[in-house]
Amino acid sequence: MYNIIGKRNIWFTFSGLAILISIAFLAIWGLKLGIDFTGGSLLEVSYTQQRPTMEQVQSSLVDLNINSLKLQPSGDSDYILRFENIEESTHQEIVNKLATIQIEGVEDNQFSELRFEAIGPVIGEELKAKAVEAVIIVLIFIVLYIAYAFRKVSKPVASWKYGLAAIIALAHDLLIIMGVFSALGYFMNVEVDILFVTALLTILGFSVHDTIVTFDRTRENLFKHQDKSFNEIVNISVNQTIVRSINTSFTTLLVLLAIYFFGGETIKNFVLALILGVIVGTYSSIFIASPLLTIWHKVKT
Amino acid sequence: MNKYSEISTKGQVTNTKVRVVFGFIFLLAIFAALIVWPSAPGWFGTFKVHLGLDLQGGTHLVYQADVSALDGNEKRDGVQALRDVIEHRVNAYGVSEPVVQTNFSGDKYRIIIELAGVKDANEAIAIIDKTPHLEFKTQGEPVFDENAVEKADEIKTQAQAILDRALAGEDFASLASEYSEDPSSAMNGGDLGYTTRGLFVPEFDKALFDDLEVGQISPELVESQFGYHIIKKIDQRLNDQGEIEVQAAHILFQKADADLNPIVWEDAGLTGRDVAKAQLSFQQNTQEPLVLSSFNNNGKEIFAKLTTDNVGKSIGIFLDGELISSPVVNEPIKDGDAQISGRFTITEAKELVKNLNLGALPVPIELISQTTVGASLGADSVNKSLLTGIIGLLAAALFMLIFYRLPGILSVIALAIYTLLALAIFEFIPITMTLAGVAGFILSIGMAVDANILIFERTKEELRKGKSLNTAIENGFTRAWFSIKDSNISSIITCLILSWFGTSIIKGFAITLGIGIMLSMFSAITVTRTFLRLIVNKRLEGKLGLFGVNKAKE
Repeated sequence: MYNIIGKRNIWFTFSGLAILISIAFLAIWGLKLGIDFTGGSLLEVSYTQQRPTMEQVQSSLVDLNINSLKLQPSGDSDYILRFENIEESTHQEIVNKLATIQIEGVEDNQFSELRFEAIGPVIGEELKAKAVEAVIIVLIFIVLYIAYAFRKVSKPVASWKYGLAAIIALAHDLLIIMGVFSALGYFMNVEVDILFVTALLTILGFSVHDTIVTFDRTRENLFKHQDKSFNEIVNISVNQTIVRSINTSFTTLLVLLAIYFFGGETIKNFVLALILGVIVGTYSSIFIASPLLTIWHKVKT
Repeated sequence: MNKYSEISTKGQVTNTKVRVVFGFIFLLAIFAALIVWPSAPGWFGTFKVHLGLDLQGGTHLVYQADVSALDGNEKRDGVQALRDVIEHRVNAYGVSEPVVQTNFSGDKYRIIIELAGVKDANEAIAIIDKTPHLEFKTQGEPVFDENAVEKADEIKTQAQAILDRALAGEDFASLASEYSEDPSSAMNGGDLGYTTRGLFVPEFDKALFDDLEVGQISPELVESQFGYHIIKKIDQRLNDQGEIEVQAAHILFQKADADLNPIVWEDAGLTGRDVAKAQLSFQQNTQEPLVLSSFNNNGKEIFAKLTTDNVGKSIGIFLDGELISSPVVNEPIKDGDAQISGRFTITEAKELVKNLNLGALPVPIELISQTTVGASLGADSVNKSLLTGIIGLLAAALFMLIFYRLPGILSVIALAIYTLLALAIFEFIPITMTLAGVAGFILSIGMAVDANILIFERTKEELRKGKSLNTAIENGFTRAWFSIKDSNISSIITCLILSWFGTSIIKGFAITLGIGIMLSMFSAITVTRTFLRLIVNKRLEGKLGLFGVNKAKE
């Protein structure tokens, strides 16, 4: 049996540091918001033979005076263009210009428009507000549900504290993932979009799922082993569920890794957030949520 | 201990029941397979996978409706009417199964349009956007406009300059085609064809029939209600009736709104929404195309009042905010027929008739978001999703086999049935599969496996404690159920909130994940358990290796 509760200070220090670093990243760099939130346009185009150089693309569009144009090569012969929110007519002009770029020595270079998104600033603002709203509502409902599910367990730790421990573990997961994406945004231009918010919310569900399974065991063991101390009982419960937690996370990770490596480009960052979330979420439900319960117990007695 | 023995007896007594449940599961699986199988016979073959726009290619448009002109209660109705009109238009455009929805949130009134498989999104947008917004307005108190004087002078100066060039001998036809603001004649070099006296405005007739010789250009600008004309008399002859017929050409400089006292137009509460039917007609004497429109009951009433109150004044007819004609009301019109003339070309008039019949937009709209996915990217995503789905399932299955042996095999079969049922439900409801939806489904496979893992871990524990196989399995299920229930309910809560959250991407994800989770509970508790109960008998007792329990270690 691993003495997980006994070494709780190690986990707390480790997680505390990770959270501090994440907060620092977020404070300094923030999250790089995608057009879902800021408004703007995204155009993904593909050439069958060879994509023109960045200079060729830029000079072909110079006449149109597009503000804040960013070019990013993607795949073998694709481009992703980001720019301000534009009128449909300008969009058509851009597509025409891109379709008629000639590359010397390359024949039969077919152009196609893979995807175009134009999002007005109004929608972006709304989504931002809605995203925050959704996260808060999910958190509230989860605390309420846990408090309800554990309502019959009030000794030696009050049932709402189970909920609180789960929420702290959740906040831990969210902060670390946002910290990682803040760094990814700074170094690799990874943008945070609406799918990222979906990923965060899914992680909330997944992490709390894990935590509840462990707490459930504690609840059961509290009835069974009336002779043991609370710390011992929590430690036994964590040990009894650790194989299941790791196995489940591992299976889910297998599936997610399959999506990450073979799935479409559009959901790659979404899946990356989920992968991180599963790892961090599993860690926090074993090493943070249950040890937190024992701290409160200690303070109380 | 009572609890344990109770559970184990339950497991043994119900052999017949187990077989019945097994038969039921078997039938359900076949039923699901028939729904999923695309070329299944009869009724089963009618179910298809509904692919979202990101998977099959298409355009997603969000329009914001400007309802500021409507009262509180009318806003919803107005946007609803707008939705119907847009749907008419999109249907006329020939898109298969267009989705046109209204979306109300707070004081935002929106229309969401999804067009699957549209190649030219710009064409679709043009059809939706360029719909006429027809309004009838009444004349308010005139306001003197200084600028208009200046503008009128400007137009006259320009006209004079062209006249000088024509008189100096420049080609009249090419000047006409370049400068004339009479679009119908400009393309023929200003040629108006042969006409008899009385068809044109008096000023024009006077110049043509009284002042000019054949081949001569009017030495001065001819002013009429339309603006300034430069007139050339090309030919003169007698027609069959013995009347004088003149072939004339002109270059027109419109006075436009260059009235010295521009009219202030006031909303009359009558729009294209109230037009019941429109048809193309022609002015009797000029043969100018015009549009006859008859109003519906509501429109008839307003129009009657409008014309009664404004006898002797003009009524402004606006198309997309621009004044196209301002006929003077001679007498009240009670029958609800209005004549719209706006110096249309025949094509323009026909277009207006078509659009009015399709229904003019009752409320102005603005495109605020657009997402277009090309079909090739969509096809690519479908292939990748299929691939990842299969890889994900195989990886999960392999893991279960290695780690949990016999129950592993059973849970893999349960997982296959789970997948069939889930796909059947997605087709049956139907749920539109998007990329995010596929991700949600694949994630639910993970949750389905989790339920099995919870159960088997519990069973292993019981076996290690030395319980009999039957008891261990039944206890494993009963105990694990609490964890499965609690954890899954919290996930379902998350899914519910996500699907309320709105945007289609997130909804797709939440719905497939939510259905997947509910189904996974059924799959683990009913399907896996029934299989285990069916297969476990005395012969397996003691062969714990089959359950992944290493006896030597205990």
